[in-house]
Amino acid sequence: MVDTLKKVIPESVLDALNKRGVETNSINAAVCADMTNDGELKNIYLILTDARLVFALSNSEDDMVFSGASPLRSVSSESIGEFYEYKLDRLTNPKIIDQVVGGLFVVDIDGVETWLCRFSGAKLREMRRFCKALECSITGEKPPDENEDDAVYCPKCGHPYPEKGRTVCPKCMVKRAIFFRILSFFKSYRLRIVFLFLCMMISGVLTSVSPYLTGSVLFDKVLTRDQALPEKLGIPGNFTLMLLLLVLSIAAVQLIQQFVGVIQGRLAAHLVPGVVAKIKGNVFASLQRLSIGFFTRRQTGSLMQRVNSDANEVMGFFIDGLPYLIYNIFTFAFSGIIMFTLDWRLALASFFLLPPLFYVSYRLLPRLWHAHGRRSRTVRTLYALLNDGIGGARVVKAFGQEDHENRRFSKVNDRVRDAEIQVVKYGNRFDIAYSLAREIPSLLVWSLGALLILRSSGTFKLGELITFINFLHMMQGPMHFFSSIFRWWTNSMNAAQRVFEIIDANPEIAEKENALHTDIKGGITLNNISFGYEPNKTILKNISFSVKAGEILGIVGKSGAGKSTLVNLISRLYDVDEGEIMIDGANVKDYSFTTLRGAVAMVSQETYIFIGTIAENIGYACPDASRKEIVRAAQAASAHPFICRLPDGYDTIIGAGGRELSGGERQRISIARAILADPQILVLDEATASVDTETERAIQASLEKLVRGRTTISIAHRLSTLRNADHLIVLDDGKLVESGTHAELVEKRGEYYKLLELQSKALAMRSIED
Amino acid sequence: MTETIVKNEYDVLEQQKQAVEDIISVRLITDENAVFSRTDGGFVSLTFTGEDGKTVEYNRVAVHRCFPHSDPNHYISIREPDGDGREIGLIEDLSSLSDETVNMLEEQLSLRYFTPKIIRLKNIREEYGYSYWDVVTDKGACRFTVRMGSGNVYSIGKNRYLINDLDGNRFEIPDLYEMTPREIKQLDLFI
Ligand SMILES: Nc1ncnc2c1ncn2[C@@H]1O[C@H](COP(=O)(O)OP(=O)(O)OP(=O)(O)O)[C@@H](O)[C@H]1O
Ligand SMILES: [Mg+2]
Repeated sequence: MVDTLKKVIPESVLDALNKRGVETNSINAAVCADMTNDGELKNIYLILTDARLVFALSNSEDDMVFSGASPLRSVSSESIGEFYEYKLDRLTNPKIIDQVVGGLFVVDIDGVETWLCRFSGAKLREMRRFCKALECSITGEKPPDENEDDAVYCPKCGHPYPEKGRTVCPKCMVKRAIFFRILSFFKSYRLRIVFLFLCMMISGVLTSVSPYLTGSVLFDKVLTRDQALPEKLGIPGNFTLMLLLLVLSIAAVQLIQQFVGVIQGRLAAHLVPGVVAKIKGNVFASLQRLSIGFFTRRQTGSLMQRVNSDANEVMGFFIDGLPYLIYNIFTFAFSGIIMFTLDWRLALASFFLLPPLFYVSYRLLPRLWHAHGRRSRTVRTLYALLNDGIGGARVVKAFGQEDHENRRFSKVNDRVRDAEIQVVKYGNRFDIAYSLAREIPSLLVWSLGALLILRSSGTFKLGELITFINFLHMMQGPMHFFSSIFRWWTNSMNAAQRVFEIIDANPEIAEKENALHTDIKGGITLNNISFGYEPNKTILKNISFSVKAGEILGIVGKSGAGKSTLVNLISRLYDVDEGEIMIDGANVKDYSFTTLRGAVAMVSQETYIFIGTIAENIGYACPDASRKEIVRAAQAASAHPFICRLPDGYDTIIGAGGRELSGGERQRISIARAILADPQILVLDEATASVDTETERAIQASLEKLVRGRTTISIAHRLSTLRNADHLIVLDDGKLVESGTHAELVEKRGEYYKLLELQSKALAMRSIED
Repeated sequence: MTETIVKNEYDVLEQQKQAVEDIISVRLITDENAVFSRTDGGFVSLTFTGEDGKTVEYNRVAVHRCFPHSDPNHYISIREPDGDGREIGLIEDLSSLSDETVNMLEEQLSLRYFTPKIIRLKNIREEYGYSYWDVVTDKGACRFTVRMGSGNVYSIGKNRYLINDLDGNRFEIPDLYEMTPREIKQLDLFI
């Protein structure tokens, strides 16, 4: 206890408490709430001893630290200011009342319901636990085991996990720098890359040779009739031949350069699309791996952007940048060497602007990064909006809101344009800086060179000057390139970061190591489970029930009671917050996904139809089902008759862009899909809500045959659907209010009876009117 | 089964009607038909006289805003406190009630909608899908973390922004253009 206590209460506060007569070893539970009664963010310690509930307000002035933020480096010593306490025997009925943000800790003091303390959402879990402890000490129950000691800090880097209960450290995900991670996508093309590299090197060297040939060699060696060179070549005095040789070698250099260029282009052309496809595949696969919660929290459009355009943008740098970077560096380096050996003064004049230029670029980089990030975010919004407008076209039209949509779109569109302009603007600054760095040296070299020729009388030759001018001219290309490369680089790395964010995202719901691969029979037990989609809103509260293998369980309850949520938990689309769900006596968390998902088939409330033929849609879960099996399944789901009436029968393409089906038809396809999957546990969530009563009867009849021997969980508003359920549970506002067989519940005259009466009444009325 | 139905036919129809009435009717709360008072426990209790002249006492009521951002002082829903709480009545305009009552209700509202206002932005750092905020609010300095790219920072009015952090806590920027250019620049990431 003392150890866990020290995690909650700093020692200095414990000391201060000791002085006020709260012995450390008499403390049974403690928690640190984070707000005074006026809502000031301050630590306030709640301490439960054998006989008292103690409140101690901290006097620390430190920042409040919420989930995910790094703890303060230097914590000022903390003591307690205000202090008050209540005798336990005055307190009854402690509870937490959830607020929009955080909650209230409420206890009846001498029978008067009183709120004692406020806290933010960060403390909700701990406060619930503390409240439970208080309740146990009042009622004398045994407190529940505190087995869950959430790991809050990443063991690798010591930083806190941003999200509780999700032990993923974003910092440690980045194992290597982004750039090298992208390079790793190129691994399988190693040989090609070596060749590419070689080509670049050759072109680079050749490019820097030609100004020398057309400058110094032509003017100073050939035109001035320098005897040394022809003699070395064994053609003394023959300057015409010399000239011819020179022209030929210039031509050869050009030719080789072109040739190498072609090879290079080919190599790159094969390389880049391959890698882009690989990245996209990777992102998509990662998306598939992620849990459903990840998707509900994000906009579909923005995820689409990541898979598609981000992958392309990552490659921008690698297509336009990287190959030529090497080439340009080589050109630059070789030219530099040649220039410096020719004349260091002119070389210096050519290069002196480079260091400040690179410095300026370096300083501009963060802004460019920012501008790119901004653009990408606006584009993401645009995608989301597109998805909305197109996906919701029916509603837009039905309400005649096209103009509204147009306005909404053009607003975002304008934002995208502005962001784009920003990017171009920063890009232009680079361009300006680089043109300056090109033009000023040119001018300098011209004038300095001319001056040198005039003054040095012969030691500095015209050819040398022309060589230099040639070089400067040639370096325009690389300079221009360098002005863009920063843009490409930022864009690419920016996109890469977003791509890796997905590739690295860990699914919240993960398979256990050595998870069970067994056959599931289908007995389901829920032990006291609680669940909420968001931390401060519990949807399901302390639900327990069990279904034997082969039984049919019916779930009824008002809309929004949490029925769909409950079945989502059983197939582990989400994990429970508290309690456990057991299938055949083992926790669902212990099963491998293949076992679990193979054993549970769900017909959910929102039918989803994939793009494909009807047959493919029915066979979605078992791709190798035979035609016969598919037809059987469709027949069982009463889908066969309407499918046969379609001109293309089972080959009708449905889903986005295909033939439209009615709501009930879609439901029947979903049912057929589940039937074909042949699961041990069949979950029907309002599966027959959109079909007429007669068809429902038919489906029911075939399901009856089908469900024999398998566990079925069926949710329905129409109670007649649940006629043959072995067991029924009634949910209300996330709580299980009644359970039993139909007869028992009717006997009880409770909620179920009321619902039943209302419905049969309505039916009876209708048949009278008919 | 049929017998029960026939026997209770009238009852059930009445019941059904009542339930429907309850759901779809709007009852307005005014100073005339309602008396709010503070409880010793820090809550608010209500004595409410319905249209049928029946007076009901509630030891504690929950106070919700229908438009917490766009119109915080109108359409205040007074509800039964527990579970998904049935609505007792609706206050159309808070200021139409006596000052004493308004104070009382506002106290309850401030408990429910705890939203510190950011008065200074010390730093925002973005890293791999999360942004880390270091701010000073009217309720004290604090640091929190926001998941990126899922609408956790959003506009709730002209230049007004709401920020949802990982804990489900909320922070408000009352007016973007009251902030320094440097702070606005940092917020650029989200706006
Ligand atoms: N992904 C989600 N994130 C946050 N809240 C959710 C989510 N899905 C559902 N809820 C909320 O959870 C509650 C229970 O929803 P659920 O879908 O389980 O209801 P239900 O009983 O199936 O209702 P119905 O009969 O209308 O289908 C509702 O209040 C709903 O608003
Ligand atoms: Mg549902």
